[in-house]
Amino acid sequence: GPQELALLERSLGLQEGNKYGVQGERKIPVLQTNNGPGLIGLVTIAAYLVKQAKKEQLLGSTAEEKAVVQQWLEYRVTQVDGCCGKEDTRIILKDLNMYLEDKVYLAGNNFTLADILMYYGLHPIMADLTVQEKEKYLNVSRWFNHIQHYPGVRQHLSNVIFIKNRLYTNAH
Amino acid sequence: MGFGDLKSAAGLQVLNDFLADRSYIEGYVPSQADIAVFEAVAAPPPAELCHALRWYNHIKSYEKQKASLPGVKKALGKYGPADVEDTTGATTDSKDDDDIDLFGSDDEEESEEAKKLREERLAQYESKKSKKPAVIAKSSILLDVKPWDDETDMAKLEECVRSIQVDGLVWGSSKLVPVGYGIKKLQIQCVVEDDKVGTDMLEERITAFEDYVQSMDVAAFNKI
Repeated sequence: GPQELALLERSLGLQEGNKYGVQGERKIPVLQTNNGPGLIGLVTIAAYLVKQAKKEQLLGSTAEEKAVVQQWLEYRVTQVDGCCGKEDTRIILKDLNMYLEDKVYLAGNNFTLADILMYYGLHPIMADLTVQEKEKYLNVSRWFNHIQHYPGVRQHLSNVIFIKNRLYTNAH
Repeated sequence: MGFGDLKSAAGLQVLNDFLADRSYIEGYVPSQADIAVFEAVAAPPPAELCHALRWYNHIKSYEKQKASLPGVKKALGKYGPADVEDTTGATTDSKDDDDIDLFGSDDEEESEEAKKLREERLAQYESKKSKKPAVIAKSSILLDVKPWDDETDMAKLEECVRSIQVDGLVWGSSKLVPVGYGIKKLQIQCVVEDDKVGTDMLEERITAFEDYVQSMDVAAFNKI
């Protein structure tokens, strides 16, 4: 919601003083613009902020990269935000772990808005994982640890600790 | 440190394990460390070493910018896991000394067995020549120890924590950090030998001082 958008603004280096509200039962964020009815929805507003910050490369450079970024932004809002319960979480982590096996960032080799919003969306889930679960979803842990160290992203969110426990690595 | 021979399957395996939970050789951005190791690896690792392959392809995408990446290229033996012996031949006579190369020959095709035996002997030779003692895996841990309230005697709390004396544990510096409502938490550094001391044990021992300690958390954890 608005708190996440404030986090995003700071990570983008913006100090625009944008005003946010929420609407509806599901508390969808709304950005009041100077002219017009306002922008609705996390992904819409986030993309707008990226352009405001003149960091359009965060939306992807090639056509393919842009599509992948959109795919993960959509995933964040439809799968991660709608997720409730251990089983949903397990499926998300399993999918993400497979996907990230050969990638450093969600879009492949470049850091994008997809990494930022997936990081914010997954933070509460990752913070609650046990040591064994972090080891099990090794690629997700690697990616999450990387993003939380990316300058300006984590801010006041808690630092999730990842320890490589030698007991488990031999199981591979 | 070092990965062993990065042109061998064994060396690539070490690299693969090292990179399972890391995006880069050092830190969280691509640097000359990655370039140094990339150049030693020379060819894409096989698909089953998926972490090494992921890293390889990623660093390859920086090929055009490699000169401007941060850091300074060091010898290969300076990178990698702390508990692997540096077999990158810091000594210069290992290749010239005919006594070691008992099974190898440039003309003949080496059998797998002969090659393995030669590598083992080379490693043994290196470890005898090396004056370094065996490297013990250590970690530097920063702990947050929280008292019950603002009336807790923090000097006594610190005394209790430092009174925990265990083989493989060394206490470092500490400071008091305000957390609100007049309460201060003790932030204390320690260095542990990974095989002897774990955070679970530390938590048990510290929270045992029930009169002073409400809880303990790991604030930071770094392999040394």
